[in-house]
Amino acid sequence: MAQLGERGTPDISIRIGGPAGAGIKAAGQSLARTFMREGLWTMDLTEYPSLIRGGHNVITVRVGPKPFFSHAVDVDILIALDRLTVEKDGPSLVEGGAVVYDPASVEAATLPSHARGVPVQLDEIAKRNGGVIMRNTVAMAAALALLRFPLEPFESALHAQFDSKSAEVAEGNVRAAREGHAEAWKHADDFPLRLSPVPGAPERVLVDGNDAVCLGALAAGIGFYAAYPMTPASTLLHYMARHEGDGVVVKHVEDEIAAMNMVVGAAFTGARAMCATSGGGFSLMAEAFGLAGVTESAVVVGVFSRPGPATGMPTWTEQGDLQFVIHAAQGEFPRVVLAPGDRDDAFHLTWQAFNLADRLQTPVVLLGDSYLSDNRQSVLPFETARVTIDRGETITEGEVSDYLRYRDTPDGISPRAIPGVKGAEQLVNSYEHDEYGWGQEGERAEVRVQQDEKRMRKMELARTLAPAPVAFGPLEADVSIVSFGSTKGPIRDAMDELAAEGVSANFLQVVTCWPFPAREVSGFLAVAKRSLVVENNYTGQLEQLIRQECLMEPDDRLHRYDGRAFTYAQIAEKAREMVRRPARELTGVTR
Amino acid sequence: MPTVAELEQACKPTWCPGCGDFQMWKALKQAIENVGYTYERFAVVWGIGNAGNGADFLRCQGFHALHGRALPTATGIALTNPELKVIVEMGDGDGYGIGGNHFLHSCRRNVEMVGIFHNNQIYGLTTGQASPTSDQFMKTPSTPGGVIEEPVNPVGVAVAQGATFVARTFSGDVAYTQSIYEQALRHHGFAVVDVFQPCPTWNKNNTFKWYAERVYKLEDEPGYDPDSRVWAFEKSLSTFHDLTCAPDSCRLPVGVFYREEGVPTYQDRLPQLAQPMWRQARKPRDISRAMRALG
Repeated sequence: MAQLGERGTPDISIRIGGPAGAGIKAAGQSLARTFMREGLWTMDLTEYPSLIRGGHNVITVRVGPKPFFSHAVDVDILIALDRLTVEKDGPSLVEGGAVVYDPASVEAATLPSHARGVPVQLDEIAKRNGGVIMRNTVAMAAALALLRFPLEPFESALHAQFDSKSAEVAEGNVRAAREGHAEAWKHADDFPLRLSPVPGAPERVLVDGNDAVCLGALAAGIGFYAAYPMTPASTLLHYMARHEGDGVVVKHVEDEIAAMNMVVGAAFTGARAMCATSGGGFSLMAEAFGLAGVTESAVVVGVFSRPGPATGMPTWTEQGDLQFVIHAAQGEFPRVVLAPGDRDDAFHLTWQAFNLADRLQTPVVLLGDSYLSDNRQSVLPFETARVTIDRGETITEGEVSDYLRYRDTPDGISPRAIPGVKGAEQLVNSYEHDEYGWGQEGERAEVRVQQDEKRMRKMELARTLAPAPVAFGPLEADVSIVSFGSTKGPIRDAMDELAAEGVSANFLQVVTCWPFPAREVSGFLAVAKRSLVVENNYTGQLEQLIRQECLMEPDDRLHRYDGRAFTYAQIAEKAREMVRRPARELTGVTR
Repeated sequence: MPTVAELEQACKPTWCPGCGDFQMWKALKQAIENVGYTYERFAVVWGIGNAGNGADFLRCQGFHALHGRALPTATGIALTNPELKVIVEMGDGDGYGIGGNHFLHSCRRNVEMVGIFHNNQIYGLTTGQASPTSDQFMKTPSTPGGVIEEPVNPVGVAVAQGATFVARTFSGDVAYTQSIYEQALRHHGFAVVDVFQPCPTWNKNNTFKWYAERVYKLEDEPGYDPDSRVWAFEKSLSTFHDLTCAPDSCRLPVGVFYREEGVPTYQDRLPQLAQPMWRQARKPRDISRAMRALG
């Protein structure tokens, strides 16, 4: 068991646990926002079952003066709003960690022996100041007191949150916070961890992956968003709906089939159009995803995975849909699959996805997962100056003559005149078709070959346009990691931890998963002393791509498929274990 | 503004001789000419089936969509370009079977567009299986013992579910079909036009003669009241029939069942849709306010 303060990193983790419906996520996020506004870096991890009420909900806020990339591994301060939290989350506390609990509902004898108890009358203080709903406020103020963190920033946050609703509620919350703070302060001398504001730190924003995707889509000039709610993609729909006033038509539709078909229709009129869902919804979208391929429609599809198959584990995470999105829909057609690894990636890859879709006139998938979608991190504001709009060969105004929607061209891109352009009579067709779009003609062998080759030729252009893999760490390293998507954060933290021990690691983040960057991945693996593929699934879907596209195999692999994201500690431990073995003799498999 | 001749493609129809689709094609071209759209101001979406094959024959800004999915594709078009009148051509299997859910929601949505349903009570393109509107007890390759279910009542569903213009016509009367189309095109809201359209190849029960002996015009009936939703629904029930019904006991009303003008359309309720949505993507949108809200 880790000892308090011996983690090697100067950050602290605070976990709030309690029954579903107790506002735990909101409480954790206001704590994180308070820290962020005082110049600290934060990252949340929300864990909850797929229930409205009655389950056990947990949010863990990692906070520190230096940047980090992933969630907390263990817990320094546990705020237990009920007995179940003590039982379930007590074992995650480090030796000497603190449990803030209410002696009215939790008996001191039930606390874990390796932790110190901090009794605070959560319910009593809350009721005195306005109601039991303020219990979270009391508890968070108590946690701040243990760290000797000033209360004023939290008080301003409470005012910001409640002033518009009622001054009385705001004042009640502030009083409750002060009482909770004072009560826990009595125990702060026994608790060695300290956290202080960092004056003059740069401005930051608190975003989850879905916020970042929405901001990217808005910046890109999205005009139409359609979706059917599905965890973890539902908050994209909420966010976009709140921003209809910015010039977006947002439609909550009858099913994902409608969502994808509407988006294809919207793309026909030249609108920038997007839908998003999880794996189950994407299963329903598959046919229309192929429609976008054969009709050469510029659409962006977000697929944010959770463990499947079928309903699976709705509120948990997995990277189990990589091969699915690369192969979804019958027949062959060009597509691009981009996998953001963190919130900054999510923003920039989203606006780039719209440009790619327009340049290539084909569907582009943004592949994420619950770990990225759901969890908030403090980040520097996204660099909006980098955003560009490239609509490719799209003709929106004026006149065209002798127009052929599917004209055969050297790079496969046929200039696209949208409805409303004079002379743009055309037939966009789900059937195979000729250059005009006629289905009858599309059955001729030579026409089929011409159109099929024209479409597939766009993959060559896609290879030159799609973002290349990104390398982190030294050129030469003891362990070389290849991965994609949201494992990026835990891997980068693991690299830092390993570096502190004198173990060097580098990491190639596959950003564009399709077309697969075989040349870069092969080059990275060829010089690796010990190569490791990390992925959040059972079957090793990225490794399958490496074997298929690079004709190489990595020395080792690390998989996780219990619905949870990798921790940096787990990845670091795997690397240590590899380093203990001689390089290049790890699996006995020749390359 | 294209004339009937200009609306025809070099690609010629492949429908069977005697197919009601020819009559519907003729009526639609004439209706478009009469209403007077320029090519730039209307779009046509087809589903998949014999009705959908019409996509090759009409010169326009066209989209031949997936089987059952023409309505959502058309909705995506209508909700991103307010300058386009969208016409959707579907079959009965296409629109009422596989696309039934979209039909239901399109009716309640009242997006301004026209849905034309080629209702031949059979699957033609896939060689003669029962459709959602096949008469009860009809024997087909997929129902050798006869259809067990009652047929879908598309007029009744459309009226019940909030479509603001609901009509039925018989393709054999081209002039009447054309006049119904013109009313549908001029309607401000979602217009449903169900068309009895004989399939001479696969449906030997509901033939041209069978329909001709049974249809009558609603407006000729005393008490004709297309402003009343209840009256319209009641009339829709009279269209139920089965294979055994005789011409005099089995009367099939055609005409406008229901019409409600002045209801705001879905588009009317979207202030951001004052112009085509492609205009939103001419330069990067300023997101500084949205980003500050997360600070």
